[in-house]
Amino acid sequence: MPCEADEEEVRGVKVSREALLEVMEGESDLPPDDEMEGEKDLAQGNKMELSGLSLSYGGKKVLEDISMPIPARSITAVIGPSGCGKSSLLRCLNRMNELVDGARVEGKVYLDGEDVYAPGFDVVGLRRRVGMVFQKPNPFPKSVYENVAYGPRLYGVRQKKVLDRIVEESLRRAALWDEVKDKLGSSALALSGGQQQRLCIARVLAVQPEVILLDEPCSALDPISTQRIEDLLHELKEMYTIVIVTHNMQQAARVSDFTAFITIEEQGSPGRLVEFGETEEVFTNPRKKKTEDYITGRFG
Amino acid sequence: MADRAAGLFFKAAAAVSLAVLAFIIGIILVKGLGTAVRPSFLFGRPQAMKEGGGIGPMFFSSLYLTLLTTLMVVPLGVGAALYLAEFSRDGRLVRLVRWGTESLSSISSVVFGIFGMIFFVIYMRLGYSLLAGALTLTLMNLPTVMRVTEESIRAIPWSYREASLSLGASRWETARRVVLPAALPGITTGAVLTMGRIMGESAALVYTVGIFVRKPPLSPLQPAAPMAANIWHLYTEGALIPDWMRVASGEAAALLVMVLLLNLGAGALAGAIRKKMGILH
Repeated sequence: MPCEADEEEVRGVKVSREALLEVMEGESDLPPDDEMEGEKDLAQGNKMELSGLSLSYGGKKVLEDISMPIPARSITAVIGPSGCGKSSLLRCLNRMNELVDGARVEGKVYLDGEDVYAPGFDVVGLRRRVGMVFQKPNPFPKSVYENVAYGPRLYGVRQKKVLDRIVEESLRRAALWDEVKDKLGSSALALSGGQQQRLCIARVLAVQPEVILLDEPCSALDPISTQRIEDLLHELKEMYTIVIVTHNMQQAARVSDFTAFITIEEQGSPGRLVEFGETEEVFTNPRKKKTEDYITGRFG
Repeated sequence: MADRAAGLFFKAAAAVSLAVLAFIIGIILVKGLGTAVRPSFLFGRPQAMKEGGGIGPMFFSSLYLTLLTTLMVVPLGVGAALYLAEFSRDGRLVRLVRWGTESLSSISSVVFGIFGMIFFVIYMRLGYSLLAGALTLTLMNLPTVMRVTEESIRAIPWSYREASLSLGASRWETARRVVLPAALPGITTGAVLTMGRIMGESAALVYTVGIFVRKPPLSPLQPAAPMAANIWHLYTEGALIPDWMRVASGEAAALLVMVLLLNLGAGALAGAIRKKMGILH
């Protein structure tokens, strides 16, 4: 573990050279706690970074000029009213929006300091490093085992022994192993919704991603399953950088370390970032009036 | 009141179509089943001049032709449908292909037969042969296989593809590892029903494969006599043998049973695949 942590920090330095030179120079002596929000964690480095990101579908702007960091090994929540483009934002991070005809991205998205939209950037590699969990649990119509083994098989793992180990480890990390270890061969579609969603998380973990994107992962789940997923996220952030889109503000407040609030001026106008900061700050002491209105329920 | 009348009408319509079906099946089985179940008939040598012949070579021809055609039309149709459903952007070429296959499906089978004779038998010098017939039937059944496959592929939720792509799979890997397996029950049903149609086809084969043979064909380049074509032959010019009516009836009953079994098998097979893969819908 300590080894991995070091490596991460090295990456962090590399990332931050792009945008956070000053912070990084002061890396050796951490800034005091009462500094501006986010700064002490920014010193740990940002795994990803959005810079002037705009997105349009067929000429219609959905997101406008979004710039924000995604700090490493923490949970960043993206909140905002329906239709503000928060799911679209998430899909910019692993270039899933490319599957939509007429989608156009401007600006930059950095992963470890490299622009993922640069020509020649390896999309397959990107999606392997930046995994995604969807709103509705979407396991394949295959067995529990085959679902988790899908990614590793894709990347050429053939040996049964290795696959067995990856499947077990991933299911354990997704807190699902004990529930499914006796039915690895039965259909994933026979699991409950909450189990299916954890299976989808295990499926992502099996390809050893660095970042996990979750698009309202609990919106189709009951409160108990939601609780389990949230607990799981807490454990996972030790090893992964997590971005979660949610329309549930309590959830954002409960699970995240950082919060980005995105909103639209009116129906049909593009989503803009209003505020980004440490979750506690954003929720208890928002800098912007709009954020306050939204989190106190006066709007959206 | 109107509801009731409509209900009665639909019930009557259903009853009439069922009755017609039952009547046809009944009369074929009554007239021929007794003959068809005798091994000496089903596997026996045919006679050209005298009575007491069997339909061994025809039975074999039908199976051979069905297998040969299926091996050609299913990969071709599934491949084309997969391209249309998964890879093509809705462009001019795609519309042209769709329009072409739709048109193909409305052409009568005897036209296919004549085309097959002119193109495969004469121009390609295949002669009357199983291969010429199989190629003709491939063209004829391609639209059905493509349509059934495309429908089963389009019925697969987008979320499966999304999950696969988000794990770093390419479009092709997604099609091969997720889309095709999930569409397999539908494709299998379509393929087996197509096999039934191949077995029952006569007009397209009369001019391409042949109507009577004494010995089972071994090579695909040999002429053969599929059962349906042979039945047509017996009814139109087969009166040289005194018991042509008995042979034709027995052959019809055998053919009917084979097609019924295939259709029953299609449902069972698709169900088994669904169960194995755990598809619940």
